[in-house]
Amino acid sequence: MDRLLTETFWIASISGGLRLATPLIYASIGETFSQRAGVLNIGLEGYMIVGSLTSLYVAVETGTLIGLLAGGIAGMLMALLMVALSVRLSANQVVVGFALTTLGIGLTGFVFRETTPTPQDARRVSRLSEIDIPGLSDVPFLGDAIFGNNWISWMGFALVPIAWWCSARTTFGLQVRAVGEDPDAAAARGVPVVRVRSLACLLSGFLGGVGGGALMLGQVGQFQPFLTANRGFIALIVIIMASWSVWGAAVGAFVFGFFEAFSSNLRNVVSGDVPTEALNAIPFLVALTILIIGARRARMPRGLGVNYVADR
Amino acid sequence: MPSGVPPITGDPPVLEARGISRRFGAVQALADVDFTLRAGEIHALVGENGAGKSTLAKIVAGVLRADSGEMALFGEPYAPGSRREGAARGVAHIRQQLSLVRGLTVAENLQLGRPNASALFNARAARAEVTRLSDELGLAVPAATIVDDLPLAVRQQAEILIGVAWGARALILDEPSSALGPVETDALIRLCQRLRAEGTPIIYISHRLPELAQLADRLTILRQGRVVLAGEDVRQADLARIAELMIGDLSLLRVERPQTVRGEVRLSAQGLGAHLDHGVGLDGVSFTVGGGEIVGVVGVAGNGQEALAEVLTGVRRPTRGHVVVDGVDVTGSSRKAIAAGMAHLHEDRATGLAHGFTLADNAIARRIGDRGFARLGVRLPGPVGAHVRELAGRFEVRPPEPSAIAGALSGGNQQKLMAARELERDPAVLVAAGPTKGLDPHAARAMRDRCFAVAERGGAVVVISADLDEVRELAHRVVVLSGGRVTDEFAIEDMTSGRLGAAMAGMARPRPRPRPGAGRGAGAGTGGAPRADHHG
Repeated sequence: MDRLLTETFWIASISGGLRLATPLIYASIGETFSQRAGVLNIGLEGYMIVGSLTSLYVAVETGTLIGLLAGGIAGMLMALLMVALSVRLSANQVVVGFALTTLGIGLTGFVFRETTPTPQDARRVSRLSEIDIPGLSDVPFLGDAIFGNNWISWMGFALVPIAWWCSARTTFGLQVRAVGEDPDAAAARGVPVVRVRSLACLLSGFLGGVGGGALMLGQVGQFQPFLTANRGFIALIVIIMASWSVWGAAVGAFVFGFFEAFSSNLRNVVSGDVPTEALNAIPFLVALTILIIGARRARMPRGLGVNYVADR
Repeated sequence: MPSGVPPITGDPPVLEARGISRRFGAVQALADVDFTLRAGEIHALVGENGAGKSTLAKIVAGVLRADSGEMALFGEPYAPGSRREGAARGVAHIRQQLSLVRGLTVAENLQLGRPNASALFNARAARAEVTRLSDELGLAVPAATIVDDLPLAVRQQAEILIGVAWGARALILDEPSSALGPVETDALIRLCQRLRAEGTPIIYISHRLPELAQLADRLTILRQGRVVLAGEDVRQADLARIAELMIGDLSLLRVERPQTVRGEVRLSAQGLGAHLDHGVGLDGVSFTVGGGEIVGVVGVAGNGQEALAEVLTGVRRPTRGHVVVDGVDVTGSSRKAIAAGMAHLHEDRATGLAHGFTLADNAIARRIGDRGFARLGVRLPGPVGAHVRELAGRFEVRPPEPSAIAGALSGGNQQKLMAARELERDPAVLVAAGPTKGLDPHAARAMRDRCFAVAERGGAVVVISADLDEVRELAHRVVVLSGGRVTDEFAIEDMTSGRLGAAMAGMARPRPRPRPGAGRGAGAGTGGAPRADHHG
């Protein structure tokens, strides 16, 4: 058990946590906007997995950045279905969301199998290297734990204050919150409810797709069916944990990532003594605890999940 | 207090509307209406429910378009296509249903929808602006509090404040006091006077006359979509005559009431008091209703009718007083009231019925556990279906299909379904709030006949309604409610526009005493001895 206390163990848990948090940060920030606008994307998992496969296939032909953007666009196309069916045609958001998740997982699995006749044909990208920040990267402990990230992660971290600013300091951010809280009153004040909701939902699709791309290009580098392994749903949990705050979502994503890395490192430490399944459950137990504690003060957008139909 | 008649200068009026007409389906809501708002005045727009006041307000604000007619704002042609456009031209429309977005703060609401708002939101500047205006207007509107946490009156002030901040050059307040208590109403009046003093003219829609006498400079009365009095100086006007004009001609009284005998007192309201968080409660309301008698409770909407219906049926516990049905005290208990034979036709069919439930569920809701309908807690569909079919046939509910969803029925059939549920067994007392409201003539007639039938079988009927025609056709006796008090009480034959208007305007008469020669002892007022005499 002494090995638990080693510096390497904690460095690995924190840096691994930041890496694992990156896809969740992208996905949960986009989805925070969408949910604040009243649109619940249960299909986030679907956006992410479509984004991950697309980003891989585009990145091997072009480059990482274009691959990442392509992943975002693929996720946005999925979200376009959500916009068409739920935001415009008022289909139940949960039902359409689950359909999009199933569609995303099935579609990517199918495309992958059809384009990969033998394991040798599988497309791969190599792992991105960490960006060396002069000075900071050399600080003992922190340098390796916090400042050893690739550019996709850094971009994700930078997105957090930008997203907060957009939400709190722009009229669009106000409109997003207004249509999620009280769409009828917002409409009476001249806010184009359906347009704002559509944009927020598309943003969730885009950032969900980018999140899938971040998972692919920044971490695994190779596709397998159901690669995302419920990360879309985890992002949804993170948002509730964070009470629909952008900063909170980033912190929540890190907490999740950290405990995932922690439990996987713990596996090496306590191998054989504790069943793997029990270790895998650690992040979820932590999330559950936070949810139970946080639920008391959580105030969800009043119009979340409720489709808006104009009176006149 | 208002200071003098506004000056008539050579400047164009703030708003001038000429020949405004608007039709909704078969209803002519406004017919050739002229209206002028002058600089520096509070212009009251009054009329009964459905007179067209709100329609005119919406047209001026840009929410609705007129079918014909034209408007000018400060002498320039004005035809707003939306509320937003109206706001951009300087017309702020404060509706009965406030339009602040919940979940946001007042400062955020200030920014949202603001004409020519920048794409960036400067939260600090917005908060400072709210605080500054709040001070200037003598209000206490907190800038950074979420709207949900503000009392209704403060929300209304916030909305007026936002209108001013957006650069309103004219305000329309549509029944701003309808949900306010007396203290809040006084504050609103002071705010309006202050705005006028600072040069913002106001169109003030209300039907509470005492308030208008205190506040308004000029007054325009609409009745059935037409102007019956245009821009009269309020200080020279006679309130009773205004009330009379609002009501219209009462001489067209057609009495079709069946003859009934007033039996013993079956319902007695004794000194009822009630407090509502928003709106007018009750303040010492007493009256009795005898078997076979139909009493109409009239008054302009929002003068305690809602509280009265709730207290009589036991839904709301009064702060004082008692409700007695056939000698049994049922105060504050709907269960006791129902057991004593109370039936209630709810004013709002959406509340009076379970909309998502079937016709059968609704029809037997009062006796859901009756033997014969259920065994061991399990519904017996056969007997229930047969009973509901029979009941639906008897009350002419169409379709008489037990599995039909109540919410899918037409308004008239929903009302009949509610009547079937409530009147299936002859009730001792029927409290009917607006029983024919919104019904087509045929359905309205059916509902009237139901009320008559209850009376003919010896039940006591209370009809609470803001619709005078409805009361005129139903009631033997009238109780006038104003500001939560009974201001007058008389036999239907004694109802004149003048007397009714005065009572509705809140001018209390001395408590009515039995008058010699009044056909039916108007003085059943305060629980007089039971007696029986003939109705005409």
